[in-house]
Amino acid sequence: MTGALHGLKIADFSWVGAGPRATKDLADNGATVVKIESARRLDLGRRSPPFAKGQSKNHDASLFFAQTNTSKKSVTINLSDPAGVEVAKRLVAWADVVVENFGPGYMDRIGLGYETLQQIRPGIILASVSVAGRTGPMAGFRGYGNIAAAQSGHADMTGWPGTEPHMPPLAYGDVVAPMFLTVAILSALEARDRTGQGCHVDVSQIESMVHVAGDLFAGMPEEKPANDDPVMAPHGVFPCAGEDAWIAIACEDDSQWRALCAVLGAGDLATRHPDAAARRAAAPVLSQALSDLTAARDGATLEQALAAAGVPASLVLDGKGVAESTALQAAGHFAPTDHPVIGPARMPAPPYDLPDTPVAITASPCLGQHNAEVFAEIGLSADDIARLTKEGALA
Amino acid sequence: MSDQTQATALLSGLKVVVLADRLVDFGGEMLARLGADVTLADTGEVTEIRQAAWHGGMRSSPASSIPLAELLAGADVLLDDRRRNPRPEVDALAASHPQLVHVVATAWPEGQPPRPATDLTLMAQSGLMHVIGTAEDPPLRLPGEQAYALTGIQVATAALMGLRARARTGRGQRIPVSALQSVTLANYREAVMYEWTGRIGRRVGNKLVRGASGVRQVWPCADGYVTWSMIDNPGMMRAVVRVMDEEGCAGELAGIVWEDILVADTDQQIIDRWQDIVGAFFARHTRAELGDWSLKLGWGLSPITKLAEVPDSPQMQARGIFVDTPQSKLTRGPLFAVHPEGQSA
Repeated sequence: MTGALHGLKIADFSWVGAGPRATKDLADNGATVVKIESARRLDLGRRSPPFAKGQSKNHDASLFFAQTNTSKKSVTINLSDPAGVEVAKRLVAWADVVVENFGPGYMDRIGLGYETLQQIRPGIILASVSVAGRTGPMAGFRGYGNIAAAQSGHADMTGWPGTEPHMPPLAYGDVVAPMFLTVAILSALEARDRTGQGCHVDVSQIESMVHVAGDLFAGMPEEKPANDDPVMAPHGVFPCAGEDAWIAIACEDDSQWRALCAVLGAGDLATRHPDAAARRAAAPVLSQALSDLTAARDGATLEQALAAAGVPASLVLDGKGVAESTALQAAGHFAPTDHPVIGPARMPAPPYDLPDTPVAITASPCLGQHNAEVFAEIGLSADDIARLTKEGALA
Repeated sequence: MSDQTQATALLSGLKVVVLADRLVDFGGEMLARLGADVTLADTGEVTEIRQAAWHGGMRSSPASSIPLAELLAGADVLLDDRRRNPRPEVDALAASHPQLVHVVATAWPEGQPPRPATDLTLMAQSGLMHVIGTAEDPPLRLPGEQAYALTGIQVATAALMGLRARARTGRGQRIPVSALQSVTLANYREAVMYEWTGRIGRRVGNKLVRGASGVRQVWPCADGYVTWSMIDNPGMMRAVVRVMDEEGCAGELAGIVWEDILVADTDQQIIDRWQDIVGAFFARHTRAELGDWSLKLGWGLSPITKLAEVPDSPQMQARGIFVDTPQSKLTRGPLFAVHPEGQSA
């Protein structure tokens, strides 16, 4: 059985995180994704930690790169060389979709703007992702995913009430925007099937982060909500026994609240604060009372007891907890791969299962690993490849 | 045709039925905003915020008014949310429509014992909360209902994957989606870092830790805050210090050859001293002034926009992201811009 996107061809000019995470989705689902790279302008993802066996100078040893580029092929093309651009044009002619996340205007400057792409391959879909999108007064803005947190209201709304804005500890825009890019590409393919027309889908990291904060814009809170919820109470994290050990608890209704109190042996709390409005009004007192009740408990035991009682509760996992999560392992969340430099490694899998057209995850490519295979497929002879490699166009 | 019209026409002709309980809400809305005809057949209890935030573009048809069997006739996609309700009757009904792409969203992965879950408890399992906030305070979630939103995106993706597969095979299929995995997928760093280095990420507030030292990410300025970090980018550092020097406030920074040092390996006390100089400069200028310099000179700085300011920002206005409603400005504009053939961005 082949993947859902078997037969789809992607010329992937994207790098680092925001583009490659989308093309990983496509590749894991069976599309042929050719990643256009260059040793002369190395994908910064290849320089990003952690590295297998500490090999920080080896451009094939980055686990960051490996998990962002599973199931793809890699070719090296020097896009600053006109002969390299001509080879890239052959890949465009081969492809259904071109993906890029370069700085503003770069594709035009190297002669691969959307108009040119359409001339080469009528019906082509160009998929771009950038900080602010390709139009509007910020179209020229250069930056990274964390800028999107600043411009979307996320930084303003993260943190505890009364504190300064808080930047997320990861480039969340580099996570959310590629998910939108995947949806954009798949939707554009649907439209092309129906109309025969391609298009340029233009995803903005700021906008993607705005869209996933729809509830904040609908409610427009004046203060940071931290872990609070406008309806549910209690709704927060509470200490457990051990260093930096916490459990998240949320009561969606009064029956869950009563069950929580029963598990904690706090029947008086249940009767004193019978409904969510009363609990929200007494939030600081209640939070302290619940913290006193959970602080000496073993988190895992408490989590199990609360789940059995029908109360939404989960340990706050750290990186170790996620890596060792039995639920994730049983779900096949980490797919085994074997990489020639990294060795055996687990790579994140899509969170869905298509039984008739299954996901298949293979190791990320080494730099230029598929030059001979891909360049032959787009019509270059062995002599052409050798000459262009020697001249630096395929490097 | 405008970019906005283009975006809302991509899925024109697609018929979608939604049984929602938070996990599929945003997925249904995404398909609707891309032009699909989406019927919201079941929602459970609805708050004003939930409806305004996540049900845009969907037609409401409570389960009591039209039977699901009738709604599924001619439907391409069923988004089936089983966060709390196992809906045992739906599988057989869906299976009687072989063309149907049936996306089943559960909180915990299907096949594992079901567990009660909310956005907060799912986020807790992702490894993200553990690193958000400050060491002296409890872990924090990302703002808003991010676990639900992330799951919704994956639900939409799964539906579209199912449609691509159907175009090849001629058949729909049943596609389980796990919210636990959807939210964990957003954490690209903590598990792999532990697995390959043994290091466990901690909450470090707004400090960006690189190498032996840490630098600030958030700075007060004359009318709010900006985000910027003193990182190893000599060109950027020179560009900032040049303006500071023109204002006569660069101090010892003016004499530093940025190519010759690594900020990441510089002593923390020295970094703190340099940051005090930069902080005094930022404090004298507004977000707009600093943002303009950054755009022109490549500082990598950004103003931090307050939530209430976002809808009226020139970029959001230009791209049509927010739509005025009687109650508020909602994120009902295009999910992304679409430039049609024959036009450039």
